[in-house]
Amino acid sequence: MSKRLLIALGALAFIFLVVSLMLFFNARRQSGLQKTDSAPEETQEKKIGGETLKVKLFFFTEESDRMIPVAGEMAVPEIREGIYRRFLELLLKKEGPRITPVPDGIDAPVVFFLAASGMLILDFNENLINLFPGGTEAELQFVYFFVDNVCYNFKEIKKVKFMAGGNEIRTISGHIDMEQPFYPDDSYLQDE
Amino acid sequence: MKYIIRIISIAILVGGILPAVSVTFRTSDENNHTRIVFEGDRSFTYTIVSTSGRLELLLPERAEFTQNGLKIPESALVDQVVHETRENRSVLAVSLKSPVDIQKHFVLDNPFRVVFDLVKSANPTPKKETASEETGKIKEEEKKEASSVADRPQAKSRPIDTICIDPGHGGEDFGAMGKSKLVEKDITLAVSQKLRKLVQSKMGLRVIMTREKDAEVSLNTRASIANNQQAQMFVSIHVNSSFRKSAFGSETYFVSLNATDQEALELARKENQSKENIGASIQNDELKMILWNMAQTEYIRESSRLAESVQYELNELLGTRNRGVKQAPFRVLMRAAMPAVLVEVAFISNSGEEKKLSDENFQDRVASAIFIGLSKFISYYNTNLK
Repeated sequence: MSKRLLIALGALAFIFLVVSLMLFFNARRQSGLQKTDSAPEETQEKKIGGETLKVKLFFFTEESDRMIPVAGEMAVPEIREGIYRRFLELLLKKEGPRITPVPDGIDAPVVFFLAASGMLILDFNENLINLFPGGTEAELQFVYFFVDNVCYNFKEIKKVKFMAGGNEIRTISGHIDMEQPFYPDDSYLQDE
Repeated sequence: MKYIIRIISIAILVGGILPAVSVTFRTSDENNHTRIVFEGDRSFTYTIVSTSGRLELLLPERAEFTQNGLKIPESALVDQVVHETRENRSVLAVSLKSPVDIQKHFVLDNPFRVVFDLVKSANPTPKKETASEETGKIKEEEKKEASSVADRPQAKSRPIDTICIDPGHGGEDFGAMGKSKLVEKDITLAVSQKLRKLVQSKMGLRVIMTREKDAEVSLNTRASIANNQQAQMFVSIHVNSSFRKSAFGSETYFVSLNATDQEALELARKENQSKENIGASIQNDELKMILWNMAQTEYIRESSRLAESVQYELNELLGTRNRGVKQAPFRVLMRAAMPAVLVEVAFISNSGEEKKLSDENFQDRVASAIFIGLSKFISYYNTNLK
């Protein structure tokens, strides 16, 4: 093999190596960009799940002691059970004249669904009882705001049980018995 | 070449993302429960799905779990733990030997742990939900108080001579608070004392007060006081509060029973009717508890009539907005074995009504209206004795 051929082969090998490295790093950069540019979690789930759910949210207002319906839409998460949590987050958004009968400092609860009995358990922050303003009407507004909303939108939920800080509660502020689960009461809903 | 480069690139990319959470499982039988713990090498989010015989922890990511299929024959409740993958996400599922109630669930840090305390479900169909250790202790006390109803003789056959007035809240329990810092517990005591004076002086009846001063009395104890003192009527005085600041008016409640109560009551009735259980069943703590919880069921019709009577007089005398007679599952009313109502005098959350509530003249008129309502009901009751 002549010296010239060896040099040519060496040059080819060098060029091949350089091109390979360039392709390799370019592909990696593109993959990285795809990751960085990926949509926020909500949109991403929207794409994965590929569907949105139309819901009807019910809110109290200063003018009405019955809850008024408002149309809403939410992305369906990939895990079915995550849908309740997402619905509650949507419900707790404070907008316009809506009255959200939940004390400040109380976020969306941890959610458990007991499929066998159709019972949704809402486990609130342990501060619920300390932060609650008191009053029978306030307790009933709190209870049926959640019960009526979730039972109306998710037919598999038959009843709702409330907890705080992972523990069962007797009453929120000395009135309504909270040890039992609650069934929906449409007397809190405005006639459509 | 391009294919190889892509594979290498993806491998590097995957390696660059946060590594999968590694989860381990352990369980132990404690005195009165079985504890299960999922420990992660970092924190993770999860959703719990509990069905009969299975408890699932759904993770929104893939997890490493090396104990897949682990069987725990020595455990009282846990049979096996398995790792399943659904749509590229991990599900850690615990198969159970029998239906359970989740007694406690909490999360601990350093290291991150998801902990459940499980107890064997005593009654898989209609049941009260699980209680914490703390409530478990209290329930022992409740059992004693429950006897006050289970062993209480029927008081329906004598004219009303004793009534129980219950000033809501007290002590550390302030109840609702108004903008000007007026507190519910003070108003309820003031109105109750005025009402007692009227009942004693104008009707000569014996009046039992669940509290005479600013003291905290539990809801169960309030009902027990009335039951043990053989009271024939229970009137709980409260002041309302709402998230709607414009809400105003008075309302009178009597107890409502939901489907769970009806199921429990049916269970108690069946238990009572069972020939094999006669005699033995009434000794049963569980049955006593059901009877106590359901004490009010026998008096619902009379409670409804009492509520109507009181609410009518409140509307007449006060001229406030008639919010009417309503029903709700009040804990203090459920255990009263007599006609029982809860009066919400006015809204402390409404500035105008808060001002009225602090006025002694208004308090006198409220007491007077409730008194007339009670006296009309007493007349009706006494003339319709069996």
